[in-house]
Amino acid sequence: MCGIAGRILNAPGKVGNDLVELMDAQEHRGADSTGFAVYGIPRDTGYVLRGMGFDKSRMDADLEAFRAVLKEHKADMIADPRIVTDAHKHYCFRIEISDPADLAAWVRDADDLSGQIEIQSCGRSLEIIKDTGGAEEVAAKHGVREMIGTHGLGHARLATESSVLPNASHPFWARPFSDVAIVHNGQITDYFTWRDRLQRMGYRFLTENDSELIAVWVSDQMKAGLTMAQALKKSITSIDGVFTYMIATPQGIGFAKDRFAMKPLVVIDQNGELAMATEEQAVRRVFADECDVINYDGPSLTGIWGVGNQKVAA
Amino acid sequence: MSEHIVDVGKRHIKEINEEIQDACAQGKKVRVINTLSRHNLGIGLPDGAEVSFEGSVGYYCGGLNVGATIDIERNCGWALGEGMSKGMITVGGRAGMSCGAAMIGGTIHVKGDAGPRCGVAMKGGNIVVEGKIGYQSGFMAHAGKIIALGGAGESCADALWQGEVWVAGEVESLGVDVNVVEPTAEEVAEVDKILEPIGLVDSSRDWRKMISGQRLWYFESRDASAWLMI
Repeated sequence: MCGIAGRILNAPGKVGNDLVELMDAQEHRGADSTGFAVYGIPRDTGYVLRGMGFDKSRMDADLEAFRAVLKEHKADMIADPRIVTDAHKHYCFRIEISDPADLAAWVRDADDLSGQIEIQSCGRSLEIIKDTGGAEEVAAKHGVREMIGTHGLGHARLATESSVLPNASHPFWARPFSDVAIVHNGQITDYFTWRDRLQRMGYRFLTENDSELIAVWVSDQMKAGLTMAQALKKSITSIDGVFTYMIATPQGIGFAKDRFAMKPLVVIDQNGELAMATEEQAVRRVFADECDVINYDGPSLTGIWGVGNQKVAA
Repeated sequence: MSEHIVDVGKRHIKEINEEIQDACAQGKKVRVINTLSRHNLGIGLPDGAEVSFEGSVGYYCGGLNVGATIDIERNCGWALGEGMSKGMITVGGRAGMSCGAAMIGGTIHVKGDAGPRCGVAMKGGNIVVEGKIGYQSGFMAHAGKIIALGGAGESCADALWQGEVWVAGEVESLGVDVNVVEPTAEEVAEVDKILEPIGLVDSSRDWRKMISGQRLWYFESRDASAWLMI
């Protein structure tokens, strides 16, 4: 049992604050870790990276090694890294970089350091903040409430499949596709088989978490030529397990539900301003007044909501 | 009967439910406001109590009801009246998934639609839905009646035990091991007796009564494919 949420604004605003509210209301669904994917104002060049290192005593050496790989790919940090630490052994970072010559090639090389330091999101606008603890705790530690953007995702995790560390929690970035993130409520039963197939194609998975698969699977289908709507539909018959997942791109947020419809999704849509969540009481944190709530509780459902009332190509 | 108002907001659920129970014990009518779709409101309400909820409520509202009359102004979330044994619950809007799950008695009346698995594993009592019942409604219902006046979604009455699903309107598809039978006049009169107190009798309805095909009651290897469907 996990809790997921999404938020879309018509114009850039305090999306971080709303996501914290949505997740705070669902903390009882999983308080191991909480994560947020926030889509800020997109930059023209350069990427924002979010990630973690496993041992803060090795931080300087980690960052130096990381920077060396960047330079091999004709890129560099364009500001001082922002580091957040607390009593835990791990540390979290935010780094702005210039464009590597080939993003996928750089990610592949940078992932060779993933025993020490791990990139958890890369995007012109996407930033994934995830850490152990409840919504308020993670938000206060990383300043999530102050984050400005157009849309985003949230996740409260009850770990069933893999370790309780920030890197094994949601949202997951669709490594190495920039600006794609997912959150998932459920369990994927054939993830090992799928992961094996995708690894043979050259994709890299850094955790034992079943949900990491979904982001890469959908992105790979889109790379092969499917629209997001087609990829979402195809996932229902291709991926086995229990799921309601949401996938975000700079253009919007899509969702898919499995054939048995065990995991709920409720949505409030007010003129293109949207709040989605596992539980209705969460979306009521954002829209407190009585209003119409859409329940996506049938089997095999998919849908896409565009940012800023954009129509996303079906 | 004087009225007591309970304000929900962000208060702890235990404190809210204790306030509702205390007011009921004092013989007061209870009106619950500022509900914000919160979960677990009004659990185990006593016989004879009258409790109404303004707006929408979350999961498990009215669960384990032992005889109260409960009124929800708008929508409710999952498992309304789960395990209730007696009493009456009315929902002005829509009911979420698993409405009346495992209930053993009493009546639930939903004025809008009901979500998937309405009446799942119910063991008695009646659920009346004026709209449509969702996917897999009546799943493994042991006893009692689910009565839908506005049609049913896919896989209707899946794996019924001895419960009955009555549908007026379109049924998108039938579940595993279901027989659709022509109800007798006496059986229709029985259903009308349930509908009469809530003013929903209409003699022009074309009923479809669904009961168990009884093939899943005992395992037979020749039925393995039907079992695998579940």
